[in-house]
Amino acid sequence: MSEAMILPGAYFAQSSRRAGWLYTVLVVLVLVALVLNLGHGSLDIGWSELVRLLLDGPNDDPRSLVVWNIRLPRALAALWGGACLAVSGLLLQVYFRNPIVGPFILGISSGASLMVALVMLTTLSLGLAALSPYLVTLAAFAGSVGALLLVVGIARRMRQGVVLLIIGLMIGYLTSAVTSLLVAFAEAERLKGFTLWSLGSFSGYRWQELQMVMLLGGSLLVGVYGLSKPLNAFLLGEDYAQSMGVNVRTFRVLIIFFSCALAALVTATAGPVAFIGLAVPHMARLSLGTADNRLLLPAAALTGGVITVLCDLVARSLFAPVETPLSAVTSFLGAPVVILLMLKRKAAL
Amino acid sequence: MMNPDASQANLLAFHQLAVGYDSRAVLSGLTQTVAAGQFVALLGPNGAGKTTLLRTLAGLLPPLAGEVSLGGRALAGLTPAEIARTLAVVLTERHAPAMLSALDLVYLGRTPHTGFLGRIGPQDRERAAWALELVGAGDLARRPMDQLSDGERQKVMLARALAQEPRVILLDEPTLHLDVKHRLEVMTILRRLCRQQGIAVVASLHDVDLALRLADVVGLVGRGGISAWGAPEKELTAASLAALYGLEQARFSPHLGVMELTAEPGREPVFVVCGGGSGAGLLRALAKQGFALKTGVLHEHDLDCLVAQSLGAQMVTQAPFQPLAEEAFRLACRAMAGCLAVVDSGFPLGDENRGNLNLLRQAAATGLPVLSLRSPEELARMLGDDAAAWRCCLDSTQVLDQMLQLGTASSLG
Repeated sequence: MSEAMILPGAYFAQSSRRAGWLYTVLVVLVLVALVLNLGHGSLDIGWSELVRLLLDGPNDDPRSLVVWNIRLPRALAALWGGACLAVSGLLLQVYFRNPIVGPFILGISSGASLMVALVMLTTLSLGLAALSPYLVTLAAFAGSVGALLLVVGIARRMRQGVVLLIIGLMIGYLTSAVTSLLVAFAEAERLKGFTLWSLGSFSGYRWQELQMVMLLGGSLLVGVYGLSKPLNAFLLGEDYAQSMGVNVRTFRVLIIFFSCALAALVTATAGPVAFIGLAVPHMARLSLGTADNRLLLPAAALTGGVITVLCDLVARSLFAPVETPLSAVTSFLGAPVVILLMLKRKAAL
Repeated sequence: MMNPDASQANLLAFHQLAVGYDSRAVLSGLTQTVAAGQFVALLGPNGAGKTTLLRTLAGLLPPLAGEVSLGGRALAGLTPAEIARTLAVVLTERHAPAMLSALDLVYLGRTPHTGFLGRIGPQDRERAAWALELVGAGDLARRPMDQLSDGERQKVMLARALAQEPRVILLDEPTLHLDVKHRLEVMTILRRLCRQQGIAVVASLHDVDLALRLADVVGLVGRGGISAWGAPEKELTAASLAALYGLEQARFSPHLGVMELTAEPGREPVFVVCGGGSGAGLLRALAKQGFALKTGVLHEHDLDCLVAQSLGAQMVTQAPFQPLAEEAFRLACRAMAGCLAVVDSGFPLGDENRGNLNLLRQAAATGLPVLSLRSPEELARMLGDDAAAWRCCLDSTQVLDQMLQLGTASSLG
């Protein structure tokens, strides 16, 4: 059989051409979403003025201050945060071979929240106050790893997909129970910051946090791309992956590390954001028409960025000047996706 | 450098192996070798440990004791990638990932040969196409995996295993849930892999008859170990299989290569005169209805004799190619007495079994109902005026009807 005869039908091959188009479209969408996000708000700025303000660089003009100090960090944070959450969700979906998982559903975000609450609400931070974003991120990472290890530990004993979801939900409940205890006993002044954080928003970003998210998030995303080959082998499950030469033990640790680090990074700085990690990988999969993770990872990252930037825009303009919690917006997007997937896959779960 | 001859003969070997989960051994003390090009079928009841053994041999499960060696090297000392280039598996799980074509799936089999990002090169394309052709699934290449039938999917999974270019393939119940066509196709492909590619195949099977026909070696797995390992013609006997599976109601016939259900006689005895294979179907039909079977005089190793034997019939036999002896005739007459009826299967008549015609005449003379599957013309030609006493039946269904009527009549009388 000649090469030409098999190639046109193969998903992988066909999709790499389709992927080229999709990436182009997505990059354009990213730019459009950014322009919309930067221009829209209590102070409307047209796109030509926006371009001028951006090209001029930061200066003392109040409009420039709004764009450079408030909107740009926020928009970029949403872009990177969305990308990180989407990729984290894709990793978890492939590893658990379950389409209905994501960092939020599996309790990873809740685990992170708990640790963040511990740091922000108690005196554990020992006056390391000023709460360096790195410290909060580290705490969030510890919390998310703890939650995911629990899920993995239990899921290894019971393999059905539904069990996984229930365990994730239960861990979510447990951690929020502890978190609410911490809230009940917290000092009022500490509480305000935490409450704002827990609603989920990219509004708090300053250049310091953004720098960290871009640096760490960027290197994590690059690292994840290096896992795309074993991720593909995992499409057939752990046994097949090992039989095809994947060192499953190492890979499991890497998956847990990367998915938790990506989710924790976002959660620490923006608070828990629901459903991006769950819904976006499906959007990428459907638009690419392939399960090949080498193509899916960039697509999921770009789609996650676009969707989150748009959700952030909706969250702050829907009832302006009151800001809607980001998770409220993303839930409207994500919850129907979960229900649809459940209905479609009722036999498999 | 390992000795190539040794690695051919001991391609896959295990020594004092114990396998199981959580330090509880399911099988232990296992020592065997598998040579290149050998087809090994593992037989045994559900839960005997076939899957556990296969997973241990594949390196997916650490052995509890002993060691497995692959190509002369200890499995424990090899990396997963090294194992993957020599050994491939086909598991029972048929989870089909969405949005993956058959060809994509076969490409995944190239994982141990591709680079860091898994780029598929010209050589990988060639091997994938070759593998798909070898299993006769070239036309499935573009089809999405989740739209294939069980049988087609299994062939693609086999192609995926082949794309790894393994020297050993381990398969866990490769024919499970397949229809007859695909079952035979998959088995034929495996056979071909052994013969043409020199690949060693170890497969757990449920079909004893397929194992007998296709395997070079059968391993009987049960009761905590491997109870037999050798040529199926030698190891598959009625006794070994009865012990392996704990059979009570069935008996394996090594000559016929099938399992026959032992009759559970609930009805009156019937005497069947047959031979040359003319009575095999009739005997099965009567046994199914619960009639106690008696038959004679049969030449030993005649097909009818083997069937009757596996059905547990009472038999009067005669050495092959010998005319009926007086003694056999007398025994048959005695067995006939008290039967509900005597059935003539319409067996071909020759010098050696002409005595059986006399047996039927004798039955008619003593007043037993004689049911015959011969045409009235043939009977008239054979018997002349005596033919009137015989009842002609068109097929075994009519024989059964008549038997059931006779049975009712006798129980009323």
